[in-house]
Amino acid sequence: ASAGDTQAGPRDAADQNFDYMFKLLLIGNSSVGKTSFLFRYADDSFTPAFVSTVGIDFKVKTVYRHDKRIKLQIWDTAGQERYRTITTAYYRGAMGFLLMYDIANQESFAAVQDWATQIKTYSWDNAQVILVGNKCDLEDERVVPAEDGRRLADDLGFEFFEASAKENINVKQVFERLVDVICEKMNESLEPSSSSGSNGKGPAVGDAPAPQPSSCSC
Amino acid sequence: MDEEYDVIVLGTGLTECILSGIMSVNGKKVLHMDRNPYYGGESSSITPLEELYKRFQLLEGPPESMGRGRDWNVDLIPKFLMANGQLVKMLLYTEVTRYLDFKVVEGSFVYKGGKIYKVPSTETEALASNLMGMFEKRRFRKFLVFVANFDENDPKTFEGVDPQTTSMRDVYRKFDLGQDVIDFTGHALALYRTDDYLDQPCLETVNRIKLYSESLARYGKSPYLYPLYGLGELPQGFARLSAIYGGTYMLNKPVDDIIMENGKVVGVKSEGEVARCKQLICDPSYIPDRVRKAGQVIRIICILSHPIKNTNDANSCQIIIPQNQVNRKSDIYVCMISYAHNVAAQGKYIAIASTTVETTDPEKEVEPALELLEPIDQKFVAISDLYEPIDDGCESQVFCSCSYDATTHFETTCNDIKDIYKRMAGTAFDFENMKRKQNDVFGEAEQ
Repeated sequence: ASAGDTQAGPRDAADQNFDYMFKLLLIGNSSVGKTSFLFRYADDSFTPAFVSTVGIDFKVKTVYRHDKRIKLQIWDTAGQERYRTITTAYYRGAMGFLLMYDIANQESFAAVQDWATQIKTYSWDNAQVILVGNKCDLEDERVVPAEDGRRLADDLGFEFFEASAKENINVKQVFERLVDVICEKMNESLEPSSSSGSNGKGPAVGDAPAPQPSSCSC
Repeated sequence: MDEEYDVIVLGTGLTECILSGIMSVNGKKVLHMDRNPYYGGESSSITPLEELYKRFQLLEGPPESMGRGRDWNVDLIPKFLMANGQLVKMLLYTEVTRYLDFKVVEGSFVYKGGKIYKVPSTETEALASNLMGMFEKRRFRKFLVFVANFDENDPKTFEGVDPQTTSMRDVYRKFDLGQDVIDFTGHALALYRTDDYLDQPCLETVNRIKLYSESLARYGKSPYLYPLYGLGELPQGFARLSAIYGGTYMLNKPVDDIIMENGKVVGVKSEGEVARCKQLICDPSYIPDRVRKAGQVIRIICILSHPIKNTNDANSCQIIIPQNQVNRKSDIYVCMISYAHNVAAQGKYIAIASTTVETTDPEKEVEPALELLEPIDQKFVAISDLYEPIDDGCESQVFCSCSYDATTHFETTCNDIKDIYKRMAGTAFDFENMKRKQNDVFGEAEQ
C-alpha cells in the first residue's frame, strides 16, 4: 500500500500475524496515570507507587474486533511530557490518542486544551482522540466535575470517559472504543482515491524488525 | 534542575543527541538542554514553512502556491545516510530505527561538461554509462573489479599495490584511468571534497569506494537513505532513546553560565538555578570562546515545482559537481528531496546546493549548481561558519562537537561522535556500547 518500488527488505513473516496495526499514543501531564493505565490494560497489573516513566518504549497487544486481528502498539511518553519536550516525531503515524488528565488535579485538566493543540498540529488529520479523566476512584479528592470533562470533550470533538487504572474501571472500554472509532474512520476514508494513512513507508533499515508495518494495509 | 548529574548536554543537534543516548543507555544520569524551543538546533527540519521564511527574514512569508505550511519540514543542512554507513549502524544498534521510516534516494548523478550523468558504480552500470568512451569503460571496469575484490587483510588481492604506501594517483595510473573518470571516482564514489587524497596512501580511498558500492548494493538505486519528515527526525529519535533510559529533557532553556572550578567543569547555570555535572557535552554555539573557526559553508535551499532535468524525474537525488569540472578546489553538491518524503507540499521539491566557501562571493560559486535547478521558485541563502573545539576537553571535561561540514553524508559526524566518546570514556568506541541494556518493549509480541 505504500512506497512501491522503493520498498526494500521483505517484512518478517511473523509480523504478518495480524490484519491491522494501530499505533496509539498516551498523552497528558505528568503523573495523571498514563503508564499505570497502559500496564492495567496490557498486563492487568497496577503499581500504586509513583514512578516517573523510565524504561518503557511501547507495549504491544493484539485484540480481536469485528473478526479482525488488530495489533496495537501503545506508546508511552518516555517522561518527556514533564517539561513539555515531547518530540514531534512521537506523533508521526499515530492513529489514535488517549489524552488523559487526573480528575483530582485541576492543572492536568487545564492542560488538556494545550495537548489537543499539539495533537492537531503534529499528527495526521484523521487521528482519533479520546479524552480520559483518570483516577475516578478518588471521588473525595475530585476537583474536576465529570460534566466539565464531558463539555470540554464535546468542544474538542473527542469522545469522553472517566476511568480508573487502580480500580480497573473503564480501562478496557476506553481502548476498545478507541479501536472502534479508528476502524469506523478507516472504513469511511477507505473510499477510493483516499490516500490517508498510507504515507509511504520506506525500507526497513538493515535487519532490524520493521517496527511499523503499513498502518493501513487493507 | 537543582541536581547532580553525570553528564549535562547542551544543544540537541544530532551529535549531542546520539551521545546523550549512548550515555543514558550506559547508566549515566543525563540532563539535556537546548536554548531553542525545538529539538535539533542546526540539524532540525524547519516547520511550518512560515518559520523558514521568518528565519531568513523574508517577511512577506510563503505565497499561497506553496500549499499548507505544516506540510513542510525543511532541513537546514543537506545530508543523506549511506545505507551501509556508520549512522545506519548506530540506528540499528540503538534500535532507534523503531521511530523512523526511510526511503532510498532514487539516483546519484555526477556533473561533466555542463551536463549530468548517472554515477556508474557497478561493472554493469559502467559498461552501460555514456559518461565514458569504450576503452575507458573497460579500464574502469577492471578498476572496479580490483576494488570489489580488495581485502586489506589479504595481500593476494593487492595486485602489486601496497595499501599503506601506494598513492591513489599511482593506482589510477596503474589502471590507466583518464581525468574525467578520476574525477567522478574520487568525488562521486569515494566522496572526497577536494583532490588532496590523490597523494595519500590508497587504502582509505579504496575502502570509501567499497562503502559506496556496498551501500548501493543494499537497495539498488543509490547508496543513500533519507528519513521521512526530514533529517530533524534523527536527533529526536536519539533523544527519545536517552529519555527512555532516564535522560531529562528541557527545551527553551537559556544557558547563563558554564561553571568551572580549577579548570574543570562542575555545572551549568540556567535561569538562576545550577545543575551540577562531572562532564559536559555541547555544540560550538554554547562555548564561543573555546572554539575556533575552521572554514565556511554556503548552503542555498531552493524550492522547485519540478524534478531536476535529466534525472529521469527522480523525486530524490544527489548531484556532485567535482571541483575540477568547474575550476574549484572543493566540490559543489546538490541534495534534492520532495513531497514524497513528507518534507514539502504536494508537487514541490527541495534542492539544497552547498559547497565549502573559497572566495568572497560565495553565491557566485554555487552558480553551476543553481543553473541545473532553474526555474527556482524561492531561494534561501545561508553562509555558515564552521567551528571546531580548541582542545580535546580532557582537562576541562567540556567536550565540544564540530559544526556539520559540507559533506553530504554523516560519516564525518559519526567519526566526531566516536572520538568524543573515546575522550569522555577513556576507552575506544565500540558499536556494542550503544545497545539497549534492558527490554523496553513489552507485550506478547515476537520481540
